[in-house]
Amino acid sequence: MKLRKELVREIILSIIGILITIIFLFPLLIIFFSSLKTESEIFSSAMTLLPKKIDFSSYIDQFVNFNIMRSFLNSFIIALFSTMLSLILSIPASYGLARFNVPFKKSILLVFLLTQLLPTSLILTPLFIMFTKLKIINSYLGPILSTATISIPFTILIMRTIFIKAPKELEEAGKIDGCTMWQIFLKIFLPISKPGLITSASFSFIMAWNDLIFSMTFNNNENLRPMTAGIYNFMSVYGTQWNRIMAYAVLLVLPVVIIFILLQKYIVGGLLEGSVKG
Amino acid sequence: MKMIKKINSYEILFVIPALGYMLIFVGYPIIYNIVLSFQDTTLMNIGSASKEFVGLENYKNIFSSPLIFITLKNTLFYTVMCLIIQFSLGFLMALFFNLKFRISGFLRGIIIISWMMPTIATALVFKFMLSETGIVNNYLMILGLIKEPILWISNQDTAMWGLIIANSWVGIPFNMLLLSTGLSNVPDSIIESAKIDGAVAWQRLIFIVVPMIKPAILSVLVLGFVYTFKVFDLVFTMTAGGPVNSTEVLSTYSYLLSFKYYYFSQGASVANILAIFLIIVSFIYVRLTSKEEVGE
Repeated sequence: MKLRKELVREIILSIIGILITIIFLFPLLIIFFSSLKTESEIFSSAMTLLPKKIDFSSYIDQFVNFNIMRSFLNSFIIALFSTMLSLILSIPASYGLARFNVPFKKSILLVFLLTQLLPTSLILTPLFIMFTKLKIINSYLGPILSTATISIPFTILIMRTIFIKAPKELEEAGKIDGCTMWQIFLKIFLPISKPGLITSASFSFIMAWNDLIFSMTFNNNENLRPMTAGIYNFMSVYGTQWNRIMAYAVLLVLPVVIIFILLQKYIVGGLLEGSVKG
Repeated sequence: MKMIKKINSYEILFVIPALGYMLIFVGYPIIYNIVLSFQDTTLMNIGSASKEFVGLENYKNIFSSPLIFITLKNTLFYTVMCLIIQFSLGFLMALFFNLKFRISGFLRGIIIISWMMPTIATALVFKFMLSETGIVNNYLMILGLIKEPILWISNQDTAMWGLIIANSWVGIPFNMLLLSTGLSNVPDSIIESAKIDGAVAWQRLIFIVVPMIKPAILSVLVLGFVYTFKVFDLVFTMTAGGPVNSTEVLSTYSYLLSFKYYYFSQGASVANILAIFLIIVSFIYVRLTSKEEVGE
């Protein structure tokens, strides 16, 4: 009898939970279903969720007439290099701040923590002037360099927690085997911190992928424009063609959704460690 | 002694590249932004070496226009409303998903996706849903709650609410996740003994659970304040501050001055005003978290 009661409770809670989730993720469904609507349905009457007739012309249009793959590739290049830059710089730093008595450790940590909380607006104009002087406006470099400033502190805070938790014996074992400090770091600590690395990499990638303001400000070259800036531009020119905009949005959101589904457990854990968004 | 010093200088090599990078691309810009706000830099003289220092002139100009006060009021209203909505709904959802059933963790995880989405995608879909013939108006009319469609985004009186709704959608999962972690740390035994003492559900919640998860509550409120107060992408892409400045916030105002009118110095000044608010709140946050942190 008791088991049966448990089962009923489980089923009822699951159904309510699924309903809450669907209601909450309703906007995602809207993006997806609207991208499959015909132009006449988008324009015609009051809006419903499901398309009356599934139609792929918005996608075909984006691929054929608007060269969406170019923007996709640009986003990918920016996000990939930004992630690499961020990881190369911040992983050793987080290790140093976790395992060594680095001078001014507390102040350095405070600096990284505070940079996450500052507004982009604060560094936007100076970076624009800096990049203009360095002549790297209208290149991939501006967005890569600037988005890394968001993911570096994030990665440092996540990875540092992981390196702190790693057992001290590992260090001693490495020393006994005659490893240098860099070898201990590279051969012992890096492999065991894989979950943190996956979290950091996926966050860095998504942060750079999602960036709009840096790309928009530091780049006017249409051929180098990432998807976020591309869809913004598309919106201002073709403002009412919502089915096309939503087809664009599906392709913009897709990598984030895929990364998210594949790495959900790392991402949710990482979110708690870092509890931050750029 | 010499040995120790040597090791230390070697160890700091791990930290220097990242620290140096941040000093160049964040530290220097922050200082530059302060200098900029005391200069008169526009598109005209941006290339020239010598710029006129004008003292507090930019700040005087900004505060002599009523727009800064409208912007400040908008930013605060937006922040406070978002905090209230995302905290209360986030808390309710955290309570629900903390009931133990098999797929609760999975569903809770899926909901986080709205927090991870590119802001421009969020902005576009809410703009679409809140448009005149959009699904929100459609459903509200079917339910008989309204007779005429509401012009959510294009009406001065409602545009801010459109933004608040969209931003809360992004903020709820974050609140939910942090609060539910707090909730899961409340030991079952304490709840059980309160039950035995005859405390009903709401009493257990207010008098036992809430005090126990106070650190988590403070964290989500402070972080929520910071992220909402510095909002840019969402406002910029949904309303761009309009209609008639009704959604102009500090960050979009700063952007407008710098990159539409090319009054770089005035834009920098507004960004500094925004930063001052955030620095104050950030310090409160750092104080709170450093108290919690163990193993230092």
